[in-house]
Amino acid sequence: MSATPLLRIEDLRTYFYSRAKQAFIRSVDGVDLDVARGETLGIVGESGSGKSVTMHSALGLITATPGVISGRVVFHDETPRDLLAGLDTSARLERRDDRIMAVEKDNRAWQKQVERNLDGIRGGKIAMIFQNPKAAMNPYETIGAQISEAVRLHTANKSPAEARERALHWLDAVRIDSPRLRYDNYPYGLSGGMCQRAMVAMALAAEPRMLIADEPTTGLDATIQARIVELLEELKTRFGMTMVLISHDIGVIARLSDRIAVMYGGRVLESGPAAMLLEQSEQGHPYTHALLASMPRTQNVKAGGRLPAIEGEVLDTINVPRGCRFRERCQRMHDGIRARCAEQEPELVEVTPGRRVRCWLYQA
Amino acid sequence: MASPILEVKGLSKHFAQRRGLLSMFSGTTAGTIPAVDDVSFTLAENETLGLVGESGCGKTTTGKSILKLMPVTAGEIHYRGQNITSLTPGEFRPLRREIQMIFQDLDAALNPKMRIESILHEAIGLREPELDAEGLRRRAYELLDLVNLKKNKLANFPSELSGGEKRRIGIARVLAVRPKLIVADEPTSALDVSIQAQVINLLRDLQDQFGLSYLFISHDLPLVELVSHRVAVMYLGQIVELGMAQRIANAPRHPYTSALWSSLAEKRSQEAVTGTAPAWGVFDFERPSGGCRFAPRCPVYAARGKPAACTDPQNAPHLREIEPGHAVACHFPL
Amino acid sequence: MSRYHQPHDTVSEYSDIRSWRSASLIDRVYVGYGLVVVVLVVLSYLLGMLGWLPSDPDGMDLANMLAGPLTEGHILGTDYLGRDLQTRLIIGIQAYFLPGLLSIVIALALGAALGVLSGYRGGRSEIAVTYVTNLVDALPRLVLMLLVIAAFKPGIYTIMVVLGLTSAPTVAMLVKGKIQMLRQRNFIESAVALGISPARIILKHILWYNCRALLLIQATLGMAEAVLLETSLSYLGFGVQEPTPSWGNMVQAGANYLLQGNFWVSTAPALAILFTVLGFHLLGDGLNNMFEGKRQR
Repeated sequence: MSATPLLRIEDLRTYFYSRAKQAFIRSVDGVDLDVARGETLGIVGESGSGKSVTMHSALGLITATPGVISGRVVFHDETPRDLLAGLDTSARLERRDDRIMAVEKDNRAWQKQVERNLDGIRGGKIAMIFQNPKAAMNPYETIGAQISEAVRLHTANKSPAEARERALHWLDAVRIDSPRLRYDNYPYGLSGGMCQRAMVAMALAAEPRMLIADEPTTGLDATIQARIVELLEELKTRFGMTMVLISHDIGVIARLSDRIAVMYGGRVLESGPAAMLLEQSEQGHPYTHALLASMPRTQNVKAGGRLPAIEGEVLDTINVPRGCRFRERCQRMHDGIRARCAEQEPELVEVTPGRRVRCWLYQA
Repeated sequence: MASPILEVKGLSKHFAQRRGLLSMFSGTTAGTIPAVDDVSFTLAENETLGLVGESGCGKTTTGKSILKLMPVTAGEIHYRGQNITSLTPGEFRPLRREIQMIFQDLDAALNPKMRIESILHEAIGLREPELDAEGLRRRAYELLDLVNLKKNKLANFPSELSGGEKRRIGIARVLAVRPKLIVADEPTSALDVSIQAQVINLLRDLQDQFGLSYLFISHDLPLVELVSHRVAVMYLGQIVELGMAQRIANAPRHPYTSALWSSLAEKRSQEAVTGTAPAWGVFDFERPSGGCRFAPRCPVYAARGKPAACTDPQNAPHLREIEPGHAVACHFPL
Repeated sequence: MSRYHQPHDTVSEYSDIRSWRSASLIDRVYVGYGLVVVVLVVLSYLLGMLGWLPSDPDGMDLANMLAGPLTEGHILGTDYLGRDLQTRLIIGIQAYFLPGLLSIVIALALGAALGVLSGYRGGRSEIAVTYVTNLVDALPRLVLMLLVIAAFKPGIYTIMVVLGLTSAPTVAMLVKGKIQMLRQRNFIESAVALGISPARIILKHILWYNCRALLLIQATLGMAEAVLLETSLSYLGFGVQEPTPSWGNMVQAGANYLLQGNFWVSTAPALAILFTVLGFHLLGDGLNNMFEGKRQR
């Protein structure tokens, strides 16, 4: 691969701890992701896949304990910076049979270190928009005030008048109706779609190099979802924005992504160019193929009107099995690899240029 | 043709809009929100009628009205030829078993303090009160088999179940009373994609096995197209189009239906979708609500130079058949 | 440095929702202590009713007047007339036990009924019940009690009825709140849709499964109130009269001897009041935390 990625996540692990069960919830269990400049990476996965937690971890937004316990998140700004620097000293892991069974972590020192690492980056160079926009914005301030605050924090426009002008500019850029009127609205006075636009405006106001969108269309009506998708598309074409798009809605991912990463049970199972992954061919990971085939679309309907559903339950990241995480639901295991699927988890390897799959079907 | 299992005629449900104390003195009339306004349709036996629309369009309210979970403002509901609209709660209760609902909320039917076993036994006991413990257990096992759940789930509490499992228990509970008609309100929306297909297959199998009729409420358009025989499209409390599922999806005649289907993120937006009108489809008492409710957002209305017929309160468009089996409420259907 | 350790490779499927195990230490202490108090009170009451007393409550041991605790023959000492304090304390329970029970039965029954009426039926019932309960709730209880006593000179049972009536609004509001929460979850709606009769929905699903915790807690708090009310009234001279013992009038009578340096005569019943009321309160508090799951171990 040619250019250095704008963001590289290496072996990220984020665990939570359940006191009642005395066990770890392995939300993110060794994730590697690259985001190249100017591209849109779509991360798709079901509940428990760890897609949201991954990006929240990257921006130091996980405060629950133990939280992030290993990994590097390298942001190639002017100089490369590890956003999670200092983790090695703050956290110690104990393994047993190649699985982490105990963690010692100095949470307070680590949080302080993270805040230092991310100063100026979070909200500034990397901006994030969230699901449920009304809840994500401050209900006690007008949206105009919040956007202006972003402007003053992260750009050179420090005076209130300048900030207001820029805020109005961004409200206009997200195509909100009557920006001057909406400037003085509070979040509760706006509909879901408008609020989402306002949040995008707030993110853009910092003039970031990268935008992370966490489930931006979930909870919105169909017609409004289309508008938000169009807006994000425009950000790509007009501003050349680098984006990470997290969603469980494959339609949204399909429309916007250049590359896609499929996550399941805390790990990336497959990553590669969007068109290739969405082909519904048998050349990628069985999970991706089965997921696309099971979506309630007319083209998937077999005889008798049934859909080819993936049997079993989505992986519960407290009880992670040995070997491949998808093993219990996989239809394409054969006797040649069955033993290996049960014992050992495959690595993510490149099967065709640009496409990496974590499956024994493709490895010797 | 056999008589329909469900006939809804002119169903209306108006919610009083609560005004503040001051408005009592200022003399403004309390408006009502016509959440469901003059809705009519039929449902045949063994048929699935899809009911689609965006949030706030009244589809859930329609479903709950059919179950008489709220008093109806106007109109009639006929179940198997019997007018159930004016039955008292006591008179209606025996019939309730035949008309059931799968609620959108996965936790709706599940008392968090009761084990699954107790929940199912209670439901079974409603129809078969004479069963003893052994009989109850047997029936519970049968129900779990029907929904593909393992027997060990009986000992669990609802909080210990996954989303898909909760949905199945909800379905099992409804099946325990052997209904003929099920109103399924967003049965798959809170579920993961890989689980949705399982539930859809289950509902289909149950329909074949028991000859059930479904009113399938959803905002997921491709899903509705897949599972329904016919589809009714609702907008702001009214049905704007009603016809065969394939026709509605591929050759819609109402501008709203067309906008809805073409807004799918997978397909490119067509010219038909307007980008100018900011109305968000909520009830707005400032704006005159006479005539067609979709007019402010309608691209055909704009393209035709805002014809007066569309906003004339005396000439509101009604559902009328433009082809056999296909009805549209529009003055200028596509 | 915090340490997190997973001892087992596989984790059980079942979540631990049994409240006792996941309760924090302090809540267990609260509930434990409270239960001890309740058991002691009930046992003592029964012993008292059956007449199995350590000594005669009116018997005067003239040789041992104003004796402190652990005197021979009198484990808790004697009062200014040589009467055994332990026995008198046991008898004193009878002054508040049954009346207290009466007050909580009235409060819970009436409160639950009103709460269900306003929460389940809603509409005009709700408005009416809310009016009435707010009205009653706004009355200052002690003043009301004194008024009632001054006007009617009632017995302790009547007083407890008034206590029960004035405590009912709190219960009603709590039950109504619970019902509204259940409403939010379409819970009641789905029970109606299934065809369960309203009576069963109210009694089984609402009251038994979802309200029993809060009703139990209100019962403990109500008992504490009753104890305080009865002892206050008899301290003031309105309740049980000498020579029948009540913890309140024992405190009152013993107060005369404080200046002489004989603290125990007054302190013993006061401590009894303190520990008992504390016990009921902590029981209620601990149970509340356990059932709400607020403090995890």
